[in-house]
Amino acid sequence: MIRLPSNQSTQGVMAQVLMALIPGILAATWVYGPGVLLNLAMASVTAWGAESLCLWLRRRPIRVRLSDHSALLTGWLLALSLPPASPWWLIVVTVATAILLGKHLYGGLGQNPLNPAMLAYCLVLISAPVAMTTLWVDPLNPPGVTEAFMAFLGERPDAATGATVLSLYRNEFAALTAVEIGTHPLLANSTLGLIAGVEWVMLAYLAGGLWLLSRRVMTWHAPVGCLAGLGVTAAFFAFDPDAGTPVWVHMTAGATVFAAFFIVTDPVSGATSPRGRLWFGIGVGVLTYLIRTYGQYPDAIAFAVLLMNFAAPMIDHYTRPRIVGRPASVKGSGGTS
Amino acid sequence: MAEYRLRQSHTALVGGIHPETHKAISLSRPCQSIPTPEHLLFPLHFSGGGAGEALVAVGDHVDQGTPIIRTESGLVHVASRSGWVVSCDPQPLAHPRHEPSPCIHIQTDPEGQAITLPPLQMADAETIRARAMEAGIVGMGGAGFPSHQKWAAGLTTLLINGAECEPYLTADDTIMRDQADAVIQGAATLATALGIAQIVIGIEDNKPEALEALQQAISEVEARQSFEIIVVPTKYPSGGERQLIWLTLELEISSRQHPIDQGILVHNPGTLAALHFSLQGQPITDRIITVTGEGVPRPQNFRVPIGTPIRELLIHAGLVQSTPYQVTVGGPMMGFELHSVDAPVIKTTNCILVREAVRQQIEPCIRCGACAEVCPVQLQPQRLYQMLSQDALGAADHEGLSDCIACAACNVVCPSNIPLASWFQHGRHQLREVAKQATIANQARQRFQAREARLTRVAADQERRRHERRSKSGDLLAKARQLREEHNG
Repeated sequence: MIRLPSNQSTQGVMAQVLMALIPGILAATWVYGPGVLLNLAMASVTAWGAESLCLWLRRRPIRVRLSDHSALLTGWLLALSLPPASPWWLIVVTVATAILLGKHLYGGLGQNPLNPAMLAYCLVLISAPVAMTTLWVDPLNPPGVTEAFMAFLGERPDAATGATVLSLYRNEFAALTAVEIGTHPLLANSTLGLIAGVEWVMLAYLAGGLWLLSRRVMTWHAPVGCLAGLGVTAAFFAFDPDAGTPVWVHMTAGATVFAAFFIVTDPVSGATSPRGRLWFGIGVGVLTYLIRTYGQYPDAIAFAVLLMNFAAPMIDHYTRPRIVGRPASVKGSGGTS
Repeated sequence: MAEYRLRQSHTALVGGIHPETHKAISLSRPCQSIPTPEHLLFPLHFSGGGAGEALVAVGDHVDQGTPIIRTESGLVHVASRSGWVVSCDPQPLAHPRHEPSPCIHIQTDPEGQAITLPPLQMADAETIRARAMEAGIVGMGGAGFPSHQKWAAGLTTLLINGAECEPYLTADDTIMRDQADAVIQGAATLATALGIAQIVIGIEDNKPEALEALQQAISEVEARQSFEIIVVPTKYPSGGERQLIWLTLELEISSRQHPIDQGILVHNPGTLAALHFSLQGQPITDRIITVTGEGVPRPQNFRVPIGTPIRELLIHAGLVQSTPYQVTVGGPMMGFELHSVDAPVIKTTNCILVREAVRQQIEPCIRCGACAEVCPVQLQPQRLYQMLSQDALGAADHEGLSDCIACAACNVVCPSNIPLASWFQHGRHQLREVAKQATIANQARQRFQAREARLTRVAADQERRRHERRSKSGDLLAKARQLREEHNG
């Protein structure tokens, strides 16, 4: 067989996803201060180092594999998921875990059944819950360069950090009503009637994601499934405003849009057929709502993604399209000879 | 004078791709005949129609049109030019199997003659079959299947496959432009002989000149059949047999069936033109070949005697020898690499493509699913690839490996440059081998079981006879003993 030059390359795909993150990075830096950039730099260095180490241990060509940008992408996704005032060691541990345990232990690029970034995120979320949930910078009062450096070096900043809107709703619902929570400073001073400043980050990620869709780097199925799964479930339970977090908080806060376009769309650990991706996304959305509402942790996307990663082979199995010329789609799994 | 209906296709191809067609480069010059080369080679096997035997001996003189090879299907290949048979030795071939075959080597005779067959005015099914066999008519588009074997009873539709969706190829386009009359008359005669009422032409919308020539030819031919020309959008692989049937006749044919099982006879325009000329008395001696690609200084279509070494063709297209280019036989999608330029042109050689060699680094599969989106039969190539790379042949078979049409659209879109189509081709080959081995093993088992049963029967027989003998002799002994006792007593 003779080949035509492919119009997309693996490294091209990865590079475009990295580029699509840039608007979100700029917006996050504006809202959360320079700590975001410090996180990114540390994550990049760690990702390259861990990847090179694994490739060297596995006797694989280092330069070829590093140039596919997949390790860098894992690092960036984690840097953007971790709290902006994280100390340096948190970044190093998380990114190294993702590359070593999440990716290379399974055989490197393309072999991992679980999303490496989300695996590492869950690991540190369980191991260091205080750091992961309370080091979110107050968007109304972002730290300066010096403060960001101090936080990065491990000095716990006191005044300028706090909880996210999601954890606010979680923690305060026991005592307060929805109207009372709405008077909280995080919510009162918002620009678009949403959450102060944070909606710009969300919109920037959305722009990056839509750009990826227009470049046909990914299909719409997984992001739309995820947003719809979360939105519809949240809207269904929204009949009592005092019982749960409002729909708009689910959709705009936390990692929702970021995850829908950049995490749920990971091809390696997701479902592969278009119909399968839609179901995968819906599953992540519904599970996210359930875990956010009834689970132990305020944000739940990482757990939802991991659970759906386990389900991806089964989704693929049941969403095979009908082969042209056959009366029905293939059933069962056949022999293994 | 015949009527025809022209319409756009109502159905759409599932999947498929839009590669750059590169067709204009070989159409900028008119089709040209090349002078008779000094040497011609005719492979005994792989010429179309199965394994063959030579009908001539070394030292014989043959005329243009003399039968030289008879294949196991009964089809005869003729000498394309007159000359002397100088040898019959194994030579490299331009065939995807890459196996050498003994080739009848003819040194051409410039003063030689051409012999023709008696022209046939009207033909019934039997005479047209006989003529196709003696004129050496095989499918000129793809696999070289003997055409007469497809002419079964009960056919309702003749579909002319003028899609030519593969990039770079313009041989069918040239035939439809320059020999539209022959194509249409061949189709009409064949349809009349086989009792087919409907003739459908499927053509891609990037061939307006060929379309016009066909319309002109239909309006001039005398035929009883109704003609329908269906224009399909330019998309690869709309020229696949089953894909074109879906686009024109809106029928899906299962991979376990052939189109003729549904009453549909599919022919390439070149085959029909060759059939028309054979009815006039000319067996297949020449064919039209596209010589093209970025490595060719003068890309164009050539009318070439069958058996011409590919080296000659490349020289006529202005290619200096020993270039760093990759030579492909057929198009860039489904073609195969040529191993030796000394290999001869056979009846299925439709294109010689010369391009800069592309060697891309193969990366791991990231399961992006781009291949599944373009697969025209809706397979899941990423799953098949995973199964085949783990030697799970049975699972891959279950997932529809044998439904793959080898169009290689998945190769083109793979961001990791994985040669998926080659994996699947190899997998299908393995499946056939497994099936063959299973048949052989089954036969051996049956033979063994029959032998065991026979041996058991023989042994039981012997045992029974011995027992009878023994019991008989036992009886005698007992009687003798009794007699002696009586005597003594």
